[in-house]
Amino acid sequence: MTSTQNVRIPSDHTGDGIAAPSRWRAVGRMVATVWGNTKARIGICILGFFVVVAVFAPVLAPYGPKDNGFERNGAASWAHWLGTTAAGEDVLSQLMHGARISLVVGFAAGILSTIVAVLIGLSWGYLRGVASEVVGFVVNLFLVIPGLPLMIVIAAYLQNGGILMIIAVIVVTGWAWGARVLRSQTQSLRGRDFVTSAQFSGDGSARIVFREILPNMTSLITGSLFGAATAAILAEAGLEFLGLGDSSIVSWGTMLYWAQNSNSLLTGQWLLLFAPGLCIALLALSLTLINFGVDGISNPRLREGKGR
Amino acid sequence: MSMTTPASGTVSAAENDVLLDVRELSVVYASPGMEPVQAVDRVSFTLGRGEFVGLVGESGSGKSTLGFALTRLQKAPAQISNGRILFGGRDIRELDAEELRRQRQGGFAMVLQSGMNALNPVRTIRNHFMDVFRAHGHVGAHERAGRAAELVQKVGLGPEVLDRYPGELSGGMRQRVSIAIALSLEPQLMVFDEPTTALDVLVQHAVMDTIQALQKSENFTAILISHDLGIVLEATERVMVMHEGRIVEDARSVDILERPQDPYTRMLLSHYADPRAETISIPGFVDMGTRKREGKARIDVTTTRPTVSARQARSADSAIVVEGVSKVYPAPRRGEEKVTAVSDVSFRLEPGEALALVGASGSGKSTLAKLITGVEKPTAGSIRFGDLDVTGLRRRALRELHKDVQMVFQDPYSALNPLHTVEYTLTRPVVNYTGLRGADARRRVLELLDTVGLTPVEQFAAKLPHQLSGGQRQRVVIARALASDPQVLIADEPVSMLDVSLRAGVLALLEDLREQWGVSMLYITHDLLSARLVTENILVLNRGRVVERGETAQVLRHPSDEYTVSLLDAVPNPARAKGAR
Repeated sequence: MTSTQNVRIPSDHTGDGIAAPSRWRAVGRMVATVWGNTKARIGICILGFFVVVAVFAPVLAPYGPKDNGFERNGAASWAHWLGTTAAGEDVLSQLMHGARISLVVGFAAGILSTIVAVLIGLSWGYLRGVASEVVGFVVNLFLVIPGLPLMIVIAAYLQNGGILMIIAVIVVTGWAWGARVLRSQTQSLRGRDFVTSAQFSGDGSARIVFREILPNMTSLITGSLFGAATAAILAEAGLEFLGLGDSSIVSWGTMLYWAQNSNSLLTGQWLLLFAPGLCIALLALSLTLINFGVDGISNPRLREGKGR
Repeated sequence: MSMTTPASGTVSAAENDVLLDVRELSVVYASPGMEPVQAVDRVSFTLGRGEFVGLVGESGSGKSTLGFALTRLQKAPAQISNGRILFGGRDIRELDAEELRRQRQGGFAMVLQSGMNALNPVRTIRNHFMDVFRAHGHVGAHERAGRAAELVQKVGLGPEVLDRYPGELSGGMRQRVSIAIALSLEPQLMVFDEPTTALDVLVQHAVMDTIQALQKSENFTAILISHDLGIVLEATERVMVMHEGRIVEDARSVDILERPQDPYTRMLLSHYADPRAETISIPGFVDMGTRKREGKARIDVTTTRPTVSARQARSADSAIVVEGVSKVYPAPRRGEEKVTAVSDVSFRLEPGEALALVGASGSGKSTLAKLITGVEKPTAGSIRFGDLDVTGLRRRALRELHKDVQMVFQDPYSALNPLHTVEYTLTRPVVNYTGLRGADARRRVLELLDTVGLTPVEQFAAKLPHQLSGGQRQRVVIARALASDPQVLIADEPVSMLDVSLRAGVLALLEDLREQWGVSMLYITHDLLSARLVTENILVLNRGRVVERGETAQVLRHPSDEYTVSLLDAVPNPARAKGAR
């Protein structure tokens, strides 16, 4: 009883604006579950490190990312920990500034493609009949087209549109898989009695989908978000490495692109390829690790506990 | 505890041949970040070789946790925190994984409620047996085929099932197969955890008979875990009653039946009655026929219920008329027959009437409910509600129908969205159907909660479903059905998922609503006892056809159709168990 007494019942509210009082507590519990998972904790630490570096890059970085007044192709030294590029820029500073692009693109594209996936997946799962077939056809179309060639074609067509273009390309090519996963979960939830009861309560389809079904898929959507962000980070690096992005900005992808262009492996500057490559791998790894913890929210059996 | 004294005198005849000796056993559920929950609390008992013991308790009493602990199948976060389990003189807590695996042959086995779903769908039944034989090597390679056939025969199946896949067998057959597989290890101790709960009523009975016969012929020691005291008393010689993690009574079945010591046992027993009897009473209830004859209201002894406020507006004035309705589903697979779920059913549900629709699973009763509520369309025939033709309704009009015809769902655990408060759940139909907004809607919600007896209303309004018990949830479901001020309630097995002790309260609530509000009710069930208590008329369905109809008391006391008789026989009844012994 004590848990409910401190829940204030709003005395004056409109019929539509009622929020479950313990929503924040539920969010807190989710965060605690994720944090309780060792792998996820490591992932959060890595991600946190990158976020801090990205946010404070101008302060932390020893030089500007485009300062090219240094020695060219310099080896690692006390002045330049990771050496300098063929154009005479400091690699460490570039790496720090590049984290900003990767994180922004990763999360922006991840969030956007998840939103698209949620909208399409849920309506697809809830609809029946011809409408469902039509949506299914479109989703399947996007699933069977090979992702990378499509990305390259679109990126080449839009030509040097910068970060926004890259995000758009990733969203267009990346939502279909998430939509498919969310659709199957929606289909299983729509058969539950509480959905039928909502129909009996006179609720419309949109309300049932977004107020009854959607909140029950929070963990799946969160998992899908981290998955999409991982894919977006990798895709962004891939596109820029191929020279399809704006090669004048500094990101991990463009660093790889320039390193490749200047044959840095042949000149013995393996750090130029290795450092951004490792950062991309670590960032993707951190998100994947966090997803282990997110799994535990929806499936308590995956929670790591003692006594097994 | 009083249990030890009578137990030692009467039960332990096989004292010198004790198979299982449980001492002060406690099991806790300790998940990180949560308060540990004591599921089993210092339980002690002994089991002689060849004994068949029942373990009874309502949900949450710790009976399954105890069963799992005895067979060392308990999983984290469950932990044995205290006590010893001596099996044949050896403490099973000390066994390591490999010893435990070997121990499964000739040691202890468990049959689960969901055991029938534990068979691998892509392997034949024969393969399942071969796996077990190979893993333990206790049957020679040449004898295996014969042995498998022998085992399935023991559980009442023919050898041809060995070549079938699990998907080709019915639920009852699969549960028999899983019992046979458990038997193939020649266990000394078998733990049956609700072995028949997931099965159809009629099949339940047959499977229980098989288990009983097996126990006698194979002479293994067995524990039957069940929520149903009736089933356990019919099957076993000794019964342990569990309540809140403790064994409150441990005595011979006959003694439990005739001289129950613990008040909890007495309470459980009081909820059983024979639906064929002339008059029936369970706590808070006398059957409708008797009440009408004697002109008195339902006596109310133990259950405290709210007085339902008489409703202001209207009582039901439209009848539901079902005429020659059939529903045929297309064949599930090519080459198979079409499935006729309902075939040529006609009846009227008069305003204010309570009509029971009974039958085993597959009799088409739930399909009828879907047809009446317009969720599905009949293949033939017509359904009318007042002037409204239900069969031709589109979405918008369906909403009109649901304003007057509401449904109470079977499973209160899945009928409420776990993420919404009671208030939100109830506000939706109020807003949608009555047009009330804001403070008015809220007042109505609180009124509804008061009507179904969830007081203090303000507190219940703020709760989430997981903070409520099964009975409370079912009251919320009923309140939601009432929110639109309907004329007809369709109650699909509203109490079958609830513990016996909670059933009477929910039934009484439905009953009051019908009398005070003048709602007509279609009560769908397989449980004839509850049908007898709350309905005036009855319709017995078998394979989609009406096989018997009439006044409930009349039909149940003098059934004319064989099917009705078999349904009546399937009602667990401790008193009958006494007669049989």
